[in-house]
Amino acid sequence: MAKQKIKLKILRYTPEKQKKPYWSTYQLEVDQDSTVLDVLNEIHWNIDGSLSYRRSCRSAICGSCALKVNGQNILACETPIHKFKGKKLKIEPLPGFPIIKDLVVDMDNFFEKLRQIKPFLILKKPLPDKEFTQSPEQFSEIRESILCILCGACTSSCPSLWSNKDYLGPASLLKAYRFIFDSRDDGAMERIDMINDRNGIWRCHTIFNCMEACPKNINITEYISKLKVKIVENSI
Amino acid sequence: MKKNFKETSKTGARVWLFQRISAIILFVLLILHFVTYHFINKGIIKYTDIMEKMKSPWFNLIQFIFLLTAVYHGFNGIWMMVEDYVHPKLMRIVLFGIIVIIAFCLLFIGMLTIFKVSNL
Repeated sequence: MAKQKIKLKILRYTPEKQKKPYWSTYQLEVDQDSTVLDVLNEIHWNIDGSLSYRRSCRSAICGSCALKVNGQNILACETPIHKFKGKKLKIEPLPGFPIIKDLVVDMDNFFEKLRQIKPFLILKKPLPDKEFTQSPEQFSEIRESILCILCGACTSSCPSLWSNKDYLGPASLLKAYRFIFDSRDDGAMERIDMINDRNGIWRCHTIFNCMEACPKNINITEYISKLKVKIVENSI
Repeated sequence: MKKNFKETSKTGARVWLFQRISAIILFVLLILHFVTYHFINKGIIKYTDIMEKMKSPWFNLIQFIFLLTAVYHGFNGIWMMVEDYVHPKLMRIVLFGIIVIIAFCLLFIGMLTIFKVSNL
């Protein structure tokens, strides 16, 4: 397989040892069609074992390896290096989250916010005798939103979140949409009451960064807008 | 479970809706303003032409609505930006005061112009 020389700039940071993050540069030869994760593995296994990053399934479904490469939030495992023009890669941890070490960020706040909107079916009507049915039309309304893998790329790309860490963030709002618009769910009012807050959904200014960052190509901004319309309809 | 994000007011829905409504009003009135002020006149616009138009009370009513929506829309937007970037409570109160004062000053100056001209 054809080999290619690439240059990497990786943002390194160990909060216990350094005061500020710094850049490490690496030069290595990799296969032309390797992914960003392959490159990171190559560094970690053969060049510099002290580099920290998250990875798990390497098939774009676990959402562990979201990173910022050349200014774009991507999943390291599914993005080939030839997607980026030139032979230089600038790898940073997800912006907007506190750094634990190197490319590993603290996602506690992210998941805490997700918990706030109760990401599970809330049932008030009696259970049906057989399975829960949903018509194709009802399902098509939430079909795209259930694809979310909670990688955090959208929330971390949101300028509203950068300026206000209390903002709920697109990932939680998408999850709220997924349950509020689910025909089987009865908890819409509780969730709407939760997200209808100046720091909840109204901190979203339709910037579209989340949509661009999403590795699953979910049109998050559109769903947040649908939620806004529903809340306005409900509160009038 | 405690709320992770600070609980602020529930006025978000109303503010969002009013911002959209005022945007639509502004859009319509802006076109109206341009057409009546700049395109209907034959030849070069003269001061006296505008003065003639501004004697009509309907015209002034539209002007007044235009002024009101423009000030509301603009300063509501500025307040949203302040909410985005300014977090200390005291600073917010101070900025809110400044924004309201400037908004009312501009409103006053605008109204003064409309009424003065219409009385001429």
